[in-house]
Amino acid sequence: MTKISTFLLALLVFFVLSCAEDSADISAAASSGTGVGGSLARFTILGDYLYTVDNTTLATFDISAPEAPEKIDETVVTQGVETIFPLKDHLLLGTQNGMYIYRVSDNGLPAYVSEYQHVVSCDPVVANQDYAYVTLRVSECREAAAGAANTLDVIDISNIESPNLVNSLSLDGPYGLGLDGNVLFVCEGSNGLRVFNLDDPESPQEIRYLNDINAIDVIPLRGTLLVVGPDALIQLDYTDINNIQVISEMSIGA
Amino acid sequence: MKITHWAGLLLAVTFLAGCYTEPVEIPEETVGLAPVYSDGDWKIIESQPPQPIIELNKIYYKDSLIFVGEAQKGIHVIDNRNPAEPERIAFISIQGNSDISIKGNLLYANNLTDLVVLNISDINNVELVSRVEGAFPQSGATLPQGYFGFFECPDPALGTIVGWTEKTLQSPECWR
Repeated sequence: MTKISTFLLALLVFFVLSCAEDSADISAAASSGTGVGGSLARFTILGDYLYTVDNTTLATFDISAPEAPEKIDETVVTQGVETIFPLKDHLLLGTQNGMYIYRVSDNGLPAYVSEYQHVVSCDPVVANQDYAYVTLRVSECREAAAGAANTLDVIDISNIESPNLVNSLSLDGPYGLGLDGNVLFVCEGSNGLRVFNLDDPESPQEIRYLNDINAIDVIPLRGTLLVVGPDALIQLDYTDINNIQVISEMSIGA
Repeated sequence: MKITHWAGLLLAVTFLAGCYTEPVEIPEETVGLAPVYSDGDWKIIESQPPQPIIELNKIYYKDSLIFVGEAQKGIHVIDNRNPAEPERIAFISIQGNSDISIKGNLLYANNLTDLVVLNISDINNVELVSRVEGAFPQSGATLPQGYFGFFECPDPALGTIVGWTEKTLQSPECWR
């Protein structure tokens, strides 16, 4: 592995693991590095490699020559691959029948590690070192199977070879989610945006349920939360988690 | 044997054997999918003046810029140096786009079936740096991927299909 990709990996680890830092840090570091996507993203960059998912497939592009990407791998994962989340040298794929974990080796090629199976539904994922948080939605999810439910599943991934469901909270109809340190944001579509405290990572405690926001996905940026929904792009200040304030709202629609 | 049964069989043969199954009955009206056709040459990528956001897709953040996907059409670029007053500064037209990722000054995006690399140093004049043709073969499929239900039959005369959108259909003749 080159020094640069090691550095980028270190940066990623830093972003994932650390929480409240000066927001100036993130832009300074990001200008030469990569940006941040939401939990519904299907593209992600890890070091010298771009990973993309479409319906069934995880594709790997070598971008060590950044202007001339080369597709070096195509791996069939399963039906209904929806999202991709980078975690150090792993990729967590949200699919309609479960979360699939791949490990990325030095040559960029992904190798299957493990999976957490659930009833067919729609489901992005975010994670930290030890836990993955997966939302499962049946409302307005065409593919949802009978018996599926709207939940937030907490999965222990401290042993990445063997993900283990430790908790499942009942929700209204969750979409995307975002993780910043010990704070977890969960979009509930037209029902609103939930804010959880993760002091006990296995048992998220709801701090707030903001019902006047239509939230589909979020990007937490160390104190500023980007929230997107069908009606607006909203920015919230969550530096004081007990006193979340609207910074701005850009409405959507012709 | 009912006429619908034969219609189903015919369609199955016409399009892609095995992908179509016989429906219970064709509804007079139902919500399904309809193709979105390309607007001219789908490979043309360019910066345009800011446009209203109509149908928001996904967001991506980098260096005080917010990139907001407009479903299947491209990306709104928002200057967020002052989060209290975010400002739309450009629209990057990329047909059939759903996802992006950025590293340095290069933006990677899907342009229908292709992966494109854009230099975004000057957001008002983005430059196509390279294109990996056929990188996403599933996107070019004439069937909505991963979808089982009724849809508006594609008409090749209307152009290249760049995506699918939900629509109320009257007596739809295609399904899978």
